[in-house]
Amino acid sequence: MSDDREAILGRVRSALAPLTERAPLPAYDTEIAVLRKLLANRDPLAVFADRLRGVNGTALTDIPALVKYLRDGKWLHGYCDPALWPRLASHFGPDFQVETEYDRTRVDDYAFGITRAAGGIAELGTVILKDGSTSRRLAALTPWVHVAVFSRAELFVDLPQAIAALGDDPNIIWCTGPSKTADVEGILIEGVHGPGVQIALVLD
Amino acid sequence: MLNTERLPLTGRRVQLMATCLCDAFYDDVAKATVQVLEHLGCTVGFPEAQTCCGQPAFNGGDWPASRKVVRHTVKTFAGDEPVIVPSGSCAAMLFHGAPLEFEKESDLPAVESLGKRAWELGDFIVNGLGVKAWPGRFDSTIAFHRSCHTRGTASSAAASTLLGSIAGLKVVEFGEGEQCCGFGGTFSVSFPNISTAMGNLKLEHVRAAKPDILVSGDMSCLMHMGGLAEKEGKPLKNMHLAQMLRDALKNGGLI
Amino acid sequence: MKFQQIDQFAAELRADTRAAVYDGSKKGHEKRTKLLFDEYPDPNRLRVLAGQVKQHVIENLDTYLPAVEAKLKANGVIVHWAATADAANETVLKIMRARGATKMVKAKTMVSEETELAHFLEKHGMEALETDLGEFIVQIDHDHPSHIVKPIIHKNRREIATSFEKNGLGAYNDDPQTITRRARQFLRHKYLEADVGLTGGNFISAESGRLVLVTNEGNSRFCLAATKCHIAMVGIEKIVPRDRDLALLLNLLARSGTAQDLTVYTEFISGPKSATQPDGPEEMHVILVDNGRTEVLASDCRDILRCIRCGACLNVCPVYRQASGHAYRSVYPGPVGAVLSPLLMGDRFKEKADLPKASSLCGACQEVCPVNIPIPDLLLRLRDKGKQEGLSSPGTPPMGAWALLASQPLAWKASLIGGRLMNYLPTKLVPVPALRAWEAKRTLPPWRGGEFRKWLHNRPTKP
Repeated sequence: MSDDREAILGRVRSALAPLTERAPLPAYDTEIAVLRKLLANRDPLAVFADRLRGVNGTALTDIPALVKYLRDGKWLHGYCDPALWPRLASHFGPDFQVETEYDRTRVDDYAFGITRAAGGIAELGTVILKDGSTSRRLAALTPWVHVAVFSRAELFVDLPQAIAALGDDPNIIWCTGPSKTADVEGILIEGVHGPGVQIALVLD
Repeated sequence: MLNTERLPLTGRRVQLMATCLCDAFYDDVAKATVQVLEHLGCTVGFPEAQTCCGQPAFNGGDWPASRKVVRHTVKTFAGDEPVIVPSGSCAAMLFHGAPLEFEKESDLPAVESLGKRAWELGDFIVNGLGVKAWPGRFDSTIAFHRSCHTRGTASSAAASTLLGSIAGLKVVEFGEGEQCCGFGGTFSVSFPNISTAMGNLKLEHVRAAKPDILVSGDMSCLMHMGGLAEKEGKPLKNMHLAQMLRDALKNGGLI
Repeated sequence: MKFQQIDQFAAELRADTRAAVYDGSKKGHEKRTKLLFDEYPDPNRLRVLAGQVKQHVIENLDTYLPAVEAKLKANGVIVHWAATADAANETVLKIMRARGATKMVKAKTMVSEETELAHFLEKHGMEALETDLGEFIVQIDHDHPSHIVKPIIHKNRREIATSFEKNGLGAYNDDPQTITRRARQFLRHKYLEADVGLTGGNFISAESGRLVLVTNEGNSRFCLAATKCHIAMVGIEKIVPRDRDLALLLNLLARSGTAQDLTVYTEFISGPKSATQPDGPEEMHVILVDNGRTEVLASDCRDILRCIRCGACLNVCPVYRQASGHAYRSVYPGPVGAVLSPLLMGDRFKEKADLPKASSLCGACQEVCPVNIPIPDLLLRLRDKGKQEGLSSPGTPPMGAWALLASQPLAWKASLIGGRLMNYLPTKLVPVPALRAWEAKRTLPPWRGGEFRKWLHNRPTKP
């Protein structure tokens, strides 16, 4: 295999040897790809909510609203990150069954999963998940409804800002709305392997 | 995208490259080009030895054959006068295709310098001579087909500027305007099924917009679409930009 | 005249397949255009810039590759190099065997199509299940994808419903939502039973070593949440210089390919799972795959390596729309494929030398390419290459005689006059095959050679 490494690098070098000069890396401001007009003078949370709605996701800003949403959709059995549950528990009535441990042998039992997000991106309506703050990857992924919880202060305004703040978590996932496909005749269907409902609960 | 840098004009003496298609089939287009340029105060020279820009062999992949013809063309159009071409595709051959196939040739500089003097007709009128409105009159509804070789150049915008300014002329848009008509040079005969499918699709869109005449800056596209239309017994009247401009002048009593 | 293969394929294509491909492509193109021009004042400027960034990487792969390797290793990733498809496949097999693994779930990656990984693994007693819905359907149908982003653009719901029934996924039901739900139900248990998750890589940042995956369905997330080992197969050209360049490229990729601002999931993976995370891979491997890319790098068509696999060129291509992806007989069809596929064949170039000819050189592809690849120029170079290698080309008129004529003014002028004969000759007797082929489908205008020059000579000279 190290032969393969030498073979490949050797071929790369000889392929590039005839070039008298190499194309330079252009200098540019990442601002050119930002949708600044969308963001200008607006409350980032309002932009975030709009953009998330535009990809069929939902932004909520208080816990009772979340509980109502779940109740209206009849999603009553789910999982919640144990670190979040103390803050949320009192708002969930007895009609709910919420587990704080995720059992992967009962993946179909969880209609919703509530996990912590590491933030969001206003420009795109994106929720940021990281290994460090997601109690269980499967809990954020497998239930039909995913509720990503983060605080207002963790909302980035634009994409370049979010990239600059990636940090060194080994698994960062930007979620922009519910999972989808258009593989069958180009018809958009939501809820494929991931959630069919994406909620962002943004608290102060 | 295409190399469209031009040498600045220093006068009104120009040379005409008629193009092999006009030389063989469309004499009136070449004639109209001369009439239009002379109306604009140009003195038009026609180097007799001209033949073809070299594109057919270039597209066909026979670059040595193409280079032979290009070299002849470079010799024929020696000097420093602008070379006006009533064809977006031939003009693009001169300023983009030829430099590409001469990349490793020692006479690249001569080829490049011809390229810098080569102007498609509409582009020359609007951006070379600065004419933004066309006098005269032509009462009709037309559709304008932008040939693919004018992508990335100023030619289509120039043609639109001129056509949009002619009194009595209505220009209608049609669907899938960015899609190729299917000519593509030798493609039209080596991929006849796809070429005619593309052409027929284009005709469908054009006809849906109900123009009286289909106008273009390239006779190759019109030869293909016009030929398809005629073969199926539903001929579509078509004109070159030069003919439209000339006829507008005639109708307005200006030539 | 003999027709070109791709032209023949197009002529014989079923009308409903062509309609599906045409409509899917056209919609994709129109949505892409609307989105880019609605959101950006000058999207073309972004494309040109992104092209420059990628070209810089391609031309400096000799520094970027070792840099990426070092960064990946520093992040705890096990790095492998695979010069050929066989080497790549063998590496995957070795990793699986070392772990006693027998079941793989795989996300969509074109590199694995190149190497035919799933077939290889199955031959060696492994289960390798496609999880992207379109690829899953291709797999159960023993078919091939026909578009690099929309693998089953050529299929309709009835065909899919029939396959599902045949494969025990329920009684015939062609409702797209039902089809999708059935796939969801079937596959989620498969992920949870699998040992290894395989993905590709859209980008690798040389600055941070991050592998970036761009998906919509949640299948790659599932591969990496349910299994304990992650293997990523990535072409050596997928590098970007810095994380900040991802901002530019991510903004262009989904908009160009699927008319989304971003795909639903953008994953930045820099190593196995973190210590506090219960789910996910404990081991991460990246296989850097050559498989002909260094050949492309050595050619004068290396610009094609900028490609970020968005599919926009396929969507706009009038030839692709008429012929469909399978006409190209390659993993990569359409405009990008017409350049890349023959070159990846290496010294078997001639088997696909017809692909670069299947184009009218309209340039629509270059206009939509998020990295501004000059595809028509590359197609032309490959036509030159084909001719230099003496490859025959059915249907293309021979140019030698014409070139002679067009460089001899006297002979030219004589032919202008002589050509008038054609006006009197029935088509079948015209001694030029190209003209006969023309007249099969279109009328030819009357020959008027010499008329313009006559007019020029005979008109009164101006004062």
